[in-house]
Amino acid sequence: MTQEKKITVKKQAYLVNDEIADNIRRLMKEKNKLFFNIMGSIGAGKTLLLERLAEKLSPHYKIFVINGDVATTIDADRIAAKGATTVQINTGGGCHLSANLIQKELDKINIDDYDIFFAENVGNLICPAAWDVGAQMNMVVVSITEGEYVIKKHPIIFKGANIAVINKCDLDGLGFDSGTLVEDANKIKSDMEVICTSAKTSLGLEALIDALGIQLP
Amino acid sequence: MHEYSLASAIVEQVKKIAQEHNASKVKTIKVSADPYEMVIPDLLKEAYGIIIDELELFKDSNLELLILPAEIICIDCDYKGEPSIEGDDEFAYNFRCAKCGSRDTHLNIRHLTIETVDLEILE
Repeated sequence: MTQEKKITVKKQAYLVNDEIADNIRRLMKEKNKLFFNIMGSIGAGKTLLLERLAEKLSPHYKIFVINGDVATTIDADRIAAKGATTVQINTGGGCHLSANLIQKELDKINIDDYDIFFAENVGNLICPAAWDVGAQMNMVVVSITEGEYVIKKHPIIFKGANIAVINKCDLDGLGFDSGTLVEDANKIKSDMEVICTSAKTSLGLEALIDALGIQLP
Repeated sequence: MHEYSLASAIVEQVKKIAQEHNASKVKTIKVSADPYEMVIPDLLKEAYGIIIDELELFKDSNLELLILPAEIICIDCDYKGEPSIEGDDEFAYNFRCAKCGSRDTHLNIRHLTIETVDLEILE
């Protein structure tokens, strides 16, 4: 004999991910660490920006970077060469990092050995927006070469961001315009910090470090 | 294609619920989603089908998705509820506040939620 039973659940599908993410955030806060989630499109300059941040910050802080990519260890190798400790997650077909993937990497290290943590998410302006990785701040990087509509076309990821970085601004005026992107970012989320950078020339790097709340001696 | 991750998260949670209730079969799972959570219903169902393909507990089960009305939080007046007007071509997700008319609003995205699970239980 069988009977049918309806169970009221009312639980988020993300619950497991969000619980892990909340634990990571709590742990980082307790230990007085900083953890940033860097999202952005493919080729926006996330890795070069992290190389610049690693160069600038690693003389003063111990940096740990978790890189997410479908394949290769190119990004982790590049950033490691600039003074950070890095680990590469290959997601296979996965289009985003998750709290579980971050937790697995944190389990392999002693968190006390580091001061500042970055997750470089998989290059994608859609899926990473939906997955909390446990960071204290979310940053989205786009570049002015991606076209003037790139922010308007991907509003959700900006709605959840604390900082929008408009990169490759060394090309501003050379057929590309940062002004429209800055304006769009401000219109989409008025309380989001918007910073123009060039990872190539280090333009805006200090403003970005300031926005991340990192103090340099 | 984060629908696969979502479908997988749903199945993992429902597996636990089924175990807790000594269920022999999962019949129907009802989930709700915000219209702006970027969940494509057909892809979610397709991913669900792939994941449960070899799971006896989930054989012939259905995943039903209910799309909720949009909800906003107004930065100017703190209104929380349905917008008066959704976004426009210019700014697709800057909805108009139903109380003060401001376009300076945040979307209050309700994450994909498992509402109910119908189980078959052996007596």
